[in-house]
Amino acid sequence: MAKQPSTTSTSPATVLGTDDSFRLLVESVKDYAIVMLDPEGHVASWNAGAERIKGYRPDEIMGKHFSCFYPADAIQRGLPEQELRTAAKEGRFEDEGWRVRKDGKQFWANAIISALRDKDGTLRGFAKVTRDLTERKQAEERIQQQSREIMELSTPVMQVWQGVVVAPLIGSLDSQRTQQFMERLLNRIVETNSPLALVDIMGVPTIDTQTAQHLIETISAVRLLGAQVVLTGVRPAIAQTLVHLGIDLSDILTRSSLAAGLRVALDMLNLQVVAKNGKP
Amino acid sequence: MATENISVIKLRNFLLVTVPPDPDDQTVSALQEQVLEAMAQHECGGLVLDISTVETLDSFFARTIAETVQMVGLMGGRTVLAGMRASVAVTATQLGLTMGKALTALDVDRALDLLDSAPSGDGV
Repeated sequence: MAKQPSTTSTSPATVLGTDDSFRLLVESVKDYAIVMLDPEGHVASWNAGAERIKGYRPDEIMGKHFSCFYPADAIQRGLPEQELRTAAKEGRFEDEGWRVRKDGKQFWANAIISALRDKDGTLRGFAKVTRDLTERKQAEERIQQQSREIMELSTPVMQVWQGVVVAPLIGSLDSQRTQQFMERLLNRIVETNSPLALVDIMGVPTIDTQTAQHLIETISAVRLLGAQVVLTGVRPAIAQTLVHLGIDLSDILTRSSLAAGLRVALDMLNLQVVAKNGKP
Repeated sequence: MATENISVIKLRNFLLVTVPPDPDDQTVSALQEQVLEAMAQHECGGLVLDISTVETLDSFFARTIAETVQMVGLMGGRTVLAGMRASVAVTATQLGLTMGKALTALDVDRALDLLDSAPSGDGV
């Protein structure tokens, strides 16, 4: 077989020993990096996909050890060798992780390493198929970040008066959100040194036993700090549900509207809103 | 480190006790002893436990504090826990720790206001 420097790969005839059409197939695949490694892990073949994904030309990479695709910390942990050992022992190794391009940029790769053995079972090398999943990884991270942001946005805690913070709850309360809400509320209470917190549940669609339990937990945590909670925005539907479910909120101060809650709060702080002209 | 980090100060009609940042069981027990002795000595109307530096809290601490609140109540004083950190309050709630009948306040200043505003001696 004649070597053609213009093709994207040099045929690893010694390892693969297949016909030209099959070699052509593998070499032309652009979406997957299909690479042959010798038993020690040196690159023995290189296809168009590998060049596209990893950036090396065939003449630059042939014979080099495949650990150059890994970030420094993975090499330090001995990951490349470990992958080869696993593939040799179990026949196959699959992994997702960061890999390094020739230009030093990292990409998120799904890599499958399969051991290649001849009829006698002697290890002849490895086939390594790598896909570039950076876009999928970035999309996943974006979604995670967005859901974090939504969570942050949905539980604001604002100071409305010296000593009074308001936390309007919007949407349902699960345990993860309660945890976050509790932390934000408590931190704001300490930051603003507010002895009163109005928790408004007007925007909570329905209340079940669990949500109520979460609310009670939050309120007892606020009490430990030395502040008090007024639960506001108790709509008729919510009041009905609470009674039907037998949830006892009798030792919690509740009001139907935020305005009524604020009046209670100002009252407790010994403050009064007076008209400018002094008339009631 | 048990006892030397606890300061019990008599302030007007009250006792002001600062709890060290990371109290172990011994410290907490010593704290109870010292508080009760000081109560007996000064006949104070109230006790403020400043826990603003406390970063961790366990069930022993919570139980001892709840007991101390009751004991001080029997001796005619009321107890205010002042300045619990937000993170500590979250943990305590999750662990289901309660501080018995202790009153709470955001800081020592407000705790003294609280003790001043209501007459003492009506138990806890």
